[in-house]
Amino acid sequence: MGVLLEGKDLRKSYHTGEVEVEVLKGIDFQIFQGEFIVVLGQSGSGKTTLLNIIGGMTKASTGELYYKGQPLHTIDEQRLTLYRRNEVGFVFQNYNLMPNLTSYENVKLAVEIAQNPLSVSDVLREVGLEAWSDHFPSQLSGGQQQRVAIARAIVKNPELLLCDEPTGALDIQTGIQVLISLQKLNREFHKTVMIITHNAEIAKMADRVFYLKDGLLDYVKVNERPLSPEEISW
Amino acid sequence: MVMLRRKTWRDIKENKGVYLACIVVIAIGLMIYTSMSIVVENMDKAQQAFYSETHFADGFINVTGYPENKVNSLMFIPGVDQAEGRIVKDVRLLDQQKDSNRYLRMVSVNMTNTPKINQIRLLTGHLPNDNQSEILVDPQFFAANHLSLGDSIKVILEGKQATFYVTGTAQSPEFIYIMRTAQDLYPSPEDFGIAYVPLSSLKALVKEKGQVNDLVVTLKSGVSFDSVKDSLQSKLKPYGLQSIVPRKDQTSNAILTSEITNIRSMTKTLPVVFLGVAAIILYTMLRRLIEQQRVAIGTLKAFGFTDREVIRHYLTYPLLIGTIGGLLGGLSGVALSFPLTTMYKQYFALPGLQSEFSFKYLLIGLALALFFSLISGIRGSLDILNLEPAQAMRPPAPVTANKTRLEKITWFWKRLTSQAQMGIRDVFRTPTRSIFNVLGIAVVFSLMTVSWSMQNMTNLLTVVQLEQVQTYDVKLSLTHPAATGATKLALTHEAGVSKVEPVLEAPATLKSGWLKKEVSLMGLAKDSTLYNILDKNGQRIEVPDQGILLSEHLANSLNVKAGDTIYVESPWRKDPLGQKGENLMVKGVVPQYVGLNAFMEETELQRFLRQGEISTSMLVKMDQSEVGQMKSKYRNASNVTSIESLKDTGDKIRKMMDSFGFTTWLLAILGGITGFALIYNSSIISLSERKRELASLRVLGMTPREVLRVITSEQWTLYIFGILLGIPLAYGLEIGMAQAMSNDLYSLPAELPPVALLGAAVGTAVSVIVAQSWAFKKIKSLPFVEILATRD
Repeated sequence: MGVLLEGKDLRKSYHTGEVEVEVLKGIDFQIFQGEFIVVLGQSGSGKTTLLNIIGGMTKASTGELYYKGQPLHTIDEQRLTLYRRNEVGFVFQNYNLMPNLTSYENVKLAVEIAQNPLSVSDVLREVGLEAWSDHFPSQLSGGQQQRVAIARAIVKNPELLLCDEPTGALDIQTGIQVLISLQKLNREFHKTVMIITHNAEIAKMADRVFYLKDGLLDYVKVNERPLSPEEISW
Repeated sequence: MVMLRRKTWRDIKENKGVYLACIVVIAIGLMIYTSMSIVVENMDKAQQAFYSETHFADGFINVTGYPENKVNSLMFIPGVDQAEGRIVKDVRLLDQQKDSNRYLRMVSVNMTNTPKINQIRLLTGHLPNDNQSEILVDPQFFAANHLSLGDSIKVILEGKQATFYVTGTAQSPEFIYIMRTAQDLYPSPEDFGIAYVPLSSLKALVKEKGQVNDLVVTLKSGVSFDSVKDSLQSKLKPYGLQSIVPRKDQTSNAILTSEITNIRSMTKTLPVVFLGVAAIILYTMLRRLIEQQRVAIGTLKAFGFTDREVIRHYLTYPLLIGTIGGLLGGLSGVALSFPLTTMYKQYFALPGLQSEFSFKYLLIGLALALFFSLISGIRGSLDILNLEPAQAMRPPAPVTANKTRLEKITWFWKRLTSQAQMGIRDVFRTPTRSIFNVLGIAVVFSLMTVSWSMQNMTNLLTVVQLEQVQTYDVKLSLTHPAATGATKLALTHEAGVSKVEPVLEAPATLKSGWLKKEVSLMGLAKDSTLYNILDKNGQRIEVPDQGILLSEHLANSLNVKAGDTIYVESPWRKDPLGQKGENLMVKGVVPQYVGLNAFMEETELQRFLRQGEISTSMLVKMDQSEVGQMKSKYRNASNVTSIESLKDTGDKIRKMMDSFGFTTWLLAILGGITGFALIYNSSIISLSERKRELASLRVLGMTPREVLRVITSEQWTLYIFGILLGIPLAYGLEIGMAQAMSNDLYSLPAELPPVALLGAAVGTAVSVIVAQSWAFKKIKSLPFVEILATRD
């Protein structure tokens, strides 16, 4: 497995009013192609900020970030947009679907900008929502909405799938369904998946677990035998 | 981007009320712009084409009598190109009705040699035969008097009866706007028209043989009228020169040109007002849409949509609204231009004046709408769209909560309900939006004041002029200036007459530096009670023994004030030393709503003219029941041009003013719709922003009406500020409008009576209340439980 992403001394500060808050205080890591990574940490530990930097949603204040050996920290906004467009898929805790587009249309929206997209129908079938393709988000359950969000993320055929608390708003049964979809993508389609969560149970599915604490990577744990979603519960 | 287009369409459908309001306001602005622009272009084109086709004169001269065979000699004056002489006579129609007062202005036309100046265009029928009693009449007189070709018209010409047969209708460039005298204000085709008579026929009927009393000249290209005026004046003075008028001051041309200028200035201001309000609505609406869709924007960016793609998507909204509003407004403007042109045709007999579909103005209108929409779109969207995706995904930082200045007035603040306090605080927390809304309300308010003040203006024109300035019952105009004594004496002894006052009105040129103005100089008796000069407060002013009084509009045109000296000359002046005029001191400046006059004491004017005790008309105060008798007695008198009953004139003017009422009401209605759109938009935005707050209040047990108070308190606060700002704006608009609409015929006072302000405030309040009642319906149907259950 080659190195997909490499971060060196990543730091990020925010200004809130007159106060400067350092959210990431220098993080070094490597992520390999096809890995299933879970980032664990308490609220305010810097998980989402790290995910946003990796996803090209924001830039680190200092430090270096490489994707397939190419620097991301020095490129302009236009190229960063292309990186998000072609290489990354996002899944958010609150799904962030367009409320006035149907499931099919929400997924199709991503297809319209993708370089090498998959078939919308195939992807919806893959997440088990073929029958719901004509429904608006308000007509779907939370789990179904999250699966539409996953379909929308993977239809672009990205190399890297970043998920911010994908099960945070779901009950356990629905959450497991979503996790099954994500693991399938990782195992069958060899996509690199990175999940942020504060749910330690989900970490059992990962190849490696990053523990974040106060803006620093506290330690990395390697799971010798990652569990399947059906084997975990919370 | 099919999916994004779908999203746009569905977003619009969800908020169709607000978008519709915006479309309506844009459409109103564009409708005014397109229709007025087309009308003004039609009028301008028709005027230019007709003037050039008929060789419209550059100068108009009125003399007592000038030898016909000497007319060609005028062409030797350097600068004069062509000169022609005509006989022009006002004749009264001989009617069965004894007090009927219908007149025709007979203008001779040379049937053997086609005139080189002021040619007539035959519209229907055929040209009269030379030496025959045949005439052409202007089409409006023809229609208004239900004439048919071949009809006979009996007239009194210089005291003799004559019968003419109508062979057709024709139009001359000098009688496009037909009025008998400048005081008439409006054409009255039932009572006055133009007849074109073969020169040979008219010559045979008038006393002065071999003479013409009217001259028209054209100038060589590049020559100004001023440079030939003196030569013409000195050459014609021995022949009883009465007036010498350049084309720009010729009544019909002056009114037509001033109307074109007025409409043109309206096309530049009114649509901007409406489009400005539309831009405000669009701006606030887009701003809200983008704030609401902050996460969607972040998501789109996270998925790799470029900034340009996202901006393009959000600019689709204003572009779509601009396009629909622009097209609707443009097309309805094109449609409106047809009836508007027809309406103008009633006043201006301008051949070739017709409306046609105009792609040009449709496109310009559309471009205007798109420009305003795009500007508001860009202003409303750019800063948020510039956020990086991670930032956009986070909810915006809560608005800083500070106490407003109003809260320092504790006795006031404490008296407010919690809902009112919430509403008022919101005004200060979104300052940009509040400022825009205040501006919008101010504009709507000032538009409405225009409506009310127009009523006030028409009131001043009719009530003041016809009841306070002109207090006579009958005015007898004499054919020529005549010795006062005998005429006055004769009239004094007529039945029912209680007072007779002679008036002397002489043509004069007033000069101040390089500024000059041709006016009628009016000589009034010091103790005149039948024609009163009033000051701004309606108090009577005596004419000074010496010096001159100027009307406000005249003083402004000459840029002089009381105490200044102006040079006054008159073609009637017979100075033994050959001095054309003299310097007179301006003793005062007085308002004058109808006409453009300078006033002097009667004997002082007689001294100035050095023609002895003469007058040109008699003002008579008399018993109304005897007016008919007086008319029938004097209408055939050879030395009387016309007998005007003030009551008839008043009725005519009031009728015309009523027809203008439509325009003022239309403006008020359009203003009201705009106000409604603005407030409705603001209500819907408040509602969507405060959904959770309002839902919480509903859960607390408040009724929809109590909840509505949060929004209404905000709006009434904006309303109060809007009206406060609107008052100076209304004054500015009023002054601008009065200046734009005033001309040499009438000057509109820039006055804004309290009733106009009050009326406009009530009108604006009504549009606020209507908009709020619509918002109330939305509050009633607010699914508050669902709202509270979902995340923002």
